[in-house]
Amino acid sequence: MSGNELPAFWFFGFDSFMEFIAFAIAMAVAFQAMKGYTLARERTLLYLNISFLLLGAGLLVDGLANLIVLLSRFHRNFLYLSRVGYTINFLAELVAYLILVVVYLQQSHASGGQIAVAVLPIALLESNPFTELILIFLLVYISAQTAINYNIRKSTNSLLVFGAFVSLALAHVFFLLFTIAPIFFPFAHICQLFGFLLLLGMLFRVNQTQ
Amino acid sequence: MIPDGQAPAAKPVKYRSQFRIYVDIMRVIQREGNEAKPTRILYGANLSHDRLVKYLEELKGLGVIQESGLDEKIYGLTQKGIEFLNDFRKVEAFAGAFGFKI
Repeated sequence: MSGNELPAFWFFGFDSFMEFIAFAIAMAVAFQAMKGYTLARERTLLYLNISFLLLGAGLLVDGLANLIVLLSRFHRNFLYLSRVGYTINFLAELVAYLILVVVYLQQSHASGGQIAVAVLPIALLESNPFTELILIFLLVYISAQTAINYNIRKSTNSLLVFGAFVSLALAHVFFLLFTIAPIFFPFAHICQLFGFLLLLGMLFRVNQTQ
Repeated sequence: MIPDGQAPAAKPVKYRSQFRIYVDIMRVIQREGNEAKPTRILYGANLSHDRLVKYLEELKGLGVIQESGLDEKIYGLTQKGIEFLNDFRKVEAFAGAFGFKI
């Protein structure tokens, strides 16, 4: 949940539920990446594992924080938890997506300058009120890389991963718009969950590979 | 034409990891119907004779391939080897979905 204002009340509870599902899917992706790393000892899989562990942890903390706020019936002593959950989730996402960006940049043999350009948004963290913009920036880059991958492979699995990151980017666009209008809050969570469900679809397909 | 005294720009060479070579050898064996002669593996996995002998011994030691044949050696995958290749295929598909090469 964005820490800026309280969203549509009717949606409270659903957001935590959706985040718990997304958490479970993120853990499943992390587990698959760890299995791959154990077998192939390929570092990119280890980074993918760390990235999704962080995403999962952030979602779990945010979901739990919002659930506690809901169960306390929005008692003012617990409202700060919502902001804490959001901040932890944001930082976890930031590091997770940065790891993916650096892995993609390394794969494309990008120069140090290009990596610096990709990492530059961190410097804006203190001054930029729209922290979501940073995540959108990173997710757009990752989406572009997965689009290139789909263009090369033309496989359903790569299309699912591309769709997942586009959905996650769109979710953060909605989180950004939520600061303008609360109506965007449910859309953001639906997009986020949809993104993780696409990843789950990819996992099922991968595990059916003969 | 390359001017005197100047070497052509070096083309980056990507070496296969030992793991990748293991997988290539096992795939050749599987492609050959689980009965592959050393010469087929040698050409299929693009290895020199010395390296092929070394890797085949290592794979036998790992229990993923087995040797048979009297006059000429024939290599086949063990059950463990078949399961390993199946697992590797899944890992390859998973990494490939993200655009990562392994």
